[in-house]
Formats: sequence, C-alpha cells, structure tokens
Amino acid sequence: MADPIILHPDTEFIRDVTRGGGADMKKCFQCATCSSTCGLSTENRPFPRKQIVEAQWGMTDRLIGDPAIWLCHNCGDCTTRCPRGAHPAETLSAIRCAVIRRLAFPRFMGGVFAIPESAVAMLAFSAILLLSIALLPAPSPGSSPLVFAQMFPKTRLEPFFFAVSGWVVLALTVGAVRFAGALRRGGAEGPILSNLVPALMEIVSHRRFAECGAQQGRRWGHLLVFSAFVGLAAMGTTVGIGSMLGLMDTPIPFLNPLKLFANLCALVLVTGAAVLVWNRLKDRQARAGAVFSDWFLLILIGGAGLTGLLSEALRLTQLRAAMFFIYYTHLTLVLTLFLGAPYSKFVHFLYRTMAMAATRQESSSSGWPITRRRQSPATS
Amino acid sequence: MPAAESGNGKPLPILVVGGGIAGLTCAIEAAEAGNRVVVVEKSPCLGGRVAGFHQYFPKLCPPPCGLEINFRRIRNNSLIAVHTLAELKDLCGKPGDYEAIIRFNPRYVTAQCTMCGECSRVCPSETPDPFDYGMSSARAIRLPHRFAYPAQYAIDREACMDGCHACADACRYGAVDLAQKPVLEKMRVASVVVATGWAPYDAARIDNLGFRRFSNVITNVMLERLAAADGPTGGRILRPSDGKVPRAVAFIQCAGSRDENHLPYCSGVCCTASLKHAAYIRSQYPDAKITMFYIDLRTPGELDHFAAKTVADTGIELIKGKVARVQEHPGSRDLLVTAEDVLRGRKITREYDLLVLAVGMVPQTADLPMGIRTDQFGFVTEAASGIHGAGCARFPADTAASVRDGTGMTLRAMQSVSAGRES
Repeated sequence: MADPIILHPDTEFIRDVTRGGGADMKKCFQCATCSSTCGLSTENRPFPRKQIVEAQWGMTDRLIGDPAIWLCHNCGDCTTRCPRGAHPAETLSAIRCAVIRRLAFPRFMGGVFAIPESAVAMLAFSAILLLSIALLPAPSPGSSPLVFAQMFPKTRLEPFFFAVSGWVVLALTVGAVRFAGALRRGGAEGPILSNLVPALMEIVSHRRFAECGAQQGRRWGHLLVFSAFVGLAAMGTTVGIGSMLGLMDTPIPFLNPLKLFANLCALVLVTGAAVLVWNRLKDRQARAGAVFSDWFLLILIGGAGLTGLLSEALRLTQLRAAMFFIYYTHLTLVLTLFLGAPYSKFVHFLYRTMAMAATRQESSSSGWPITRRRQSPATS
Repeated sequence: MPAAESGNGKPLPILVVGGGIAGLTCAIEAAEAGNRVVVVEKSPCLGGRVAGFHQYFPKLCPPPCGLEINFRRIRNNSLIAVHTLAELKDLCGKPGDYEAIIRFNPRYVTAQCTMCGECSRVCPSETPDPFDYGMSSARAIRLPHRFAYPAQYAIDREACMDGCHACADACRYGAVDLAQKPVLEKMRVASVVVATGWAPYDAARIDNLGFRRFSNVITNVMLERLAAADGPTGGRILRPSDGKVPRAVAFIQCAGSRDENHLPYCSGVCCTASLKHAAYIRSQYPDAKITMFYIDLRTPGELDHFAAKTVADTGIELIKGKVARVQEHPGSRDLLVTAEDVLRGRKITREYDLLVLAVGMVPQTADLPMGIRTDQFGFVTEAASGIHGAGCARFPADTAASVRDGTGMTLRAMQSVSAGRES
C-alpha cells in the first residue's frame, strides 16, 4: 500500500474561495466535463476539475504553485457545460483571487479588493492622499490659462507617483519571487526568464482567448484594454521621466505626436472596457459569474480612461467649474489602480505571464490538425 | 354496492395504461388473482421497449421468450381485455370508482388480416421505422415488428400519401378499412395503474457529443437494435456511415444524465446496459477494443457480479472521466474523443470508429390526463388514491425491476377494488 497522504485543510482558503465566487464548488462531483470541454487545458495539466477538488479540500500549497489556474482565461465554457451548476470558471477565478491574496506583499494588503468595504476604503485612502498633496501647503493662486498643476503642483505630484510606482514595483517583485518559488515546488520545470519573450509574443496575439467558445467578444475587449494599457504605461513613464528631468513640459500640446498617441490609447482603453462591460451585461452567464473584484477592476480601468479624456477636454475648454474635480477623480482612480495592482485581479498580467512561461515546453493536447476549434465547422 | 360495481353486478375492472413489461405483468397478475383488467396501449402492439431488446442483462437471454409467455397468459385469460392503439384521455372520480375516457385510434386494418404482406409490398410510402430508431425504413402499412402481438398489420396514417389506397386495393381479404375513425368511450374502473414506460433522452439535445451531426455517433437503444437479429443489420453490429465492422468503440456514460442541463437524475440502468453492449461487441468481434468513459460505474446489487465478470474481459477499458468534446474526421468519419482520465490526472484524446451514447430514461407521462400526479422529472408519484405508477413511469428501472414493480402494483390496484366494494 502506498504511504498515506495526510491532508491539512486550510479552512481560511476554503472560506476565501467560497466568498470570492466559488460558493458552488462543493456541488462538483468530479465528472471532469469541465477539463474535457476546456480548449486551454493541456494533456499534462488538465484543469479545472483537479483544482476544484483541491480547493474543496483547502489544499492551498498545491494551488499556489499550480500554473494551471493562470492558464485559464475565464471564458466560461466549463460553467456552461457543468452538469451540476458548480460554476468551475467562477471557482477558478475565486481560487486565483485567494492565491493573489497569499502571494501579496505585504500580506495584510492581500484581501483589499476582495470585498467592497475595503476596496472603497482604498479609494478613499487614495482620495485623501491626493487631497493632501493638493492642499498642504495651499497651492499658488490660479492664473490664466488654467492648468492642473495649479491644483497638483508638479513638484509634488511627480515625485509622489514615482514613489508610489517604486513601492508597487517592489510589491510586484516580491509577489513574483514568491510565485516563482511556488511554481518550482509545484513541479513546473520551464525556465521562466528565457521563456518570457515567447510567452509575451503569445499574449500579444491573444491566441488563447480564441480557444474559448462561450464569449468571443472578450478576446477583442481584452486585446483593446491590454494594448491601450501597454501604450499608456510607456507614455506615462516617458512623459513623467521627461518632465522630472526638465526635458518636457506638461501639458503637452494637443498636436504633439506623443499626446496624440496617448489620446488614441485612452480612446482604445475606454472602448475596450466598454466592450468588456457590454459582454458581461448581455451574457447572463458572464453576468452571474462576475464577482465584485472583477467589476471593481473593470470600473476602475474604464473610469480612469474616461475621466482622463474628460479632464483633457475640460482643460482645453477651460471649464473651471468641472475640470479640477474631474481631474481629481481621475488621479484618485489611477492611484487606486496603482496601489492595488499587486493585490487586485490586475496582477494576473504578471502571474499569468510567468505561468505561461513556466509551462511553455509542455505538450499540449493532441488532435487532428484539421480540428482546431476555429478552423473546423465539424467540431463540437 | 352501486358505486363500485358495473351494471351487471360485477366489481369494476382495473385499468392498466401501457402494455409494456410492467403493465403486462401487472395486468396478468391481477387477472390471475381473479380481477377484471382492461389494458390500453397507445401503439399497435404490446411489449413496449423490451420487444426491441436483443438480450436482457444479466443473463443475456432474449426478450421474446419472456414476452411470449406473457402473451400466452393473456390469451388464456378471459378477464383481460387488451386494447392497442388506445389512449387514456381523461380521468375523474375517486378510488374504487373512476370514470375514464378512452380514445380508440383506428388501426385501419381489421381482424380479417392474415399477415400475407401484400399490402406492404404495394405501399408506396416509406418512413423511418421508429422500432429501429430510424436506422431502417418501413412502409406505412406494416406489422410493427417481427413478433408483434396482436399479430395484425396497422397503418401509420401520417406516413401515407394523400388519397392513396393501394393497400386497400391489394388486400384480398378486405381487411383494410381506410374509413375508420377514432372513437371516444367512457369506462368505469376501480383503479388505474400507469405503466406508460420510458423513452430514451433525445441525444441530439446534447449538442457537444455530435449525435445526428456525426453519423457514427449512436445511442445505446440503437446499439440494441443493431445487435438484434430482427434489427436493421440482421444482428451484425456495423457502423452506420459505411457498414464497416467497428474496431474501436467508445461508450459515453451519463450522456445527458446526472446533468442539470438535461436529465438531472441517474437512470440506474445505463452502466449495466453499456457493459452488456460491450459484451455484445466483444462476442461478435473478439479483436474490437472497447473504452467506457464513466463518472461512477453504477451497477447496484447483484448486477455488480455481472459488471465484475464483464470488466474482467481485457478488451474493455474503463476510464473515469466524462467526455465533453467529440470531433469527426471529415474523411474517415472516425471520431476523436477528448476526456480527462481522472484517475491518472491526464487529458487524453483518442480515436474511435463508433461512439455509443448511454442516454437515460425519460418517463412518458406528459400526455396523461390531469389528476395523475408526477414529480418534477415526470415520474408518477405515490398518491393516496386509486392511481398507481408502475415500472419506468414511476422510476428508472431495468426489466427485472419493472416486472417486480408491476407485480407489486397489482396488490395496490386490488386494494382499490376492494376499497370500492366496501364503500
């Protein structure tokens, strides 16, 4: 007889998953319809059936180091087919949230976006931080034309955001190191660093979203948001550094190529977020499956894009009554997004990339070449 | 007492709805205990689903012998009145004294029929034969199946061409009467046994398993007909697309069963039935490889011995994991099946040339009159009345359990008769 396996169920993990959208996971009777349905689960790493039973038993260590939970793109095909209403897609999503929480640095911040109360507190914290920058000490009196620097002096705002960015990068790095360790303990052998470039290339193509059957609109919505984010991050960093070094002066003129590009990115971001929101609203399954943290992140991203564009429009039209307030809202949303990046669903950009890199060389499920989902009309 | 007796002073009869194995058993047992029984059967002949089986499990013996014995018992018993092509349309009253409205549908063929078959030969209408689940075609006028009882032709009027009377012209005995009309009749009965049986779940609704889209995906009841000597292939199990001998066959258990999107319950018989089907294939083709994809292999009670014996055959491989993805090779019409091998923790894709969906049982109670109570799935529920369910109309059951249930319900029905007598 094999050695007995002694389980130490982590009841807190079970509670986290149950509250975070996995309330139905105990209905699962392990038929594996989900793993068979899933177009992304592979020969060596079938999911989500196994992950659900591990979550039921509170096997935290196994789940933290399991790249499979990140290989899921949350299309919901498994939930559509589930014979028990166990909602595997939502359960996996909740598992990811619970794992994010356990990889978080500092740990107490981990659950901040899990429930509305602390998420709103985080928003308020950002708002107060920004307000203190604006008010202490009082900014110089307004002159014509109105610029945002009159409310948030650059000499304070820019170092502040760089400090915040530094902190966020540190928190992300600690999370990445913890996750890399967990992946190794979990048996994912792929070299993460050297596989990073091919993994990123694959992410750029959004190919894996195409494997999902239930919600095709998500692929384009996510691709838009993703591309816009990359563009805006590059732009923001460039302009921030440029301004701090005195090479650039904000506000940058409207027709400057950098500004045009940034505006284009913002438009794409808002469009992408709208596509994602629309997808979620029109699809009953997706609507039911989305938990608070999903909505919060989407609203944060969409809101930041929208208020950013609006601030610019108000500044260009010099609408004194609204421009400062909208800009303040914009900064609050952006700051919350920044501060929350290592603890919200946002951090999937890091963990999913690492998981894809770590499992890159593993064989994928075989099949007739003609039977790739999109290419063959004769496929179920 | 007047309420419980018919005009001539005899106690009221028991009405059995459905002439399958449960209804027949109930009717015969009640009649042999001295009760008058009326059997109404919707189709043109008795025997129900059992008549289409190749073999029963676990003994693997053929159903005709069991049915023949029952038919003989009916013929020898004057207390049983059998009405085929008859349906229960309405029911009211109380235990011991019900009024039933029976609709007698026309057969269009009278008792003069000698089964010479001339009518079928001239019939110009071909229709998919429901007895073979559409795998063969039949004429509009035909004997419903090889050992139909009553042994009398019948016309499927819906399959007829407008204005055609070729069969009436061809019949030398004047046995074809196309002018027959349905008749409604009132009947007083003491109690009712609902034994309307089951139908296989509509596999086309399980859209990911490819039934109807892929020709080599069949259901368990179809395999039963393929194996039967009077079936569409004369008893040889051949795959539908090209009539080739299957070399690798997969069974998908719980196809639509234990699934809240389809049938939420377990039919309890499909696992044993699939093992039996695997045994059919292995006995015809000793080289054939068989895989059964299952969630839990449920072979309760004594059936476990049958399961153990069948599984001991090395040509049968069991894989725990439900199949949710089926693809068809456009050229060979072979099937690619994807499942997770749960016990080994690997996802597998395998090629098969025949796929059998083990579909569950759907109780046939939707067309019954109000007053016959059913549960959320359509199974007849136990009510404190003179109305009783028997066999698969009451719960998913195999043949043996249906026979036992039919016998048991005889007693319930007889209690209603005596309750009526004493009131």
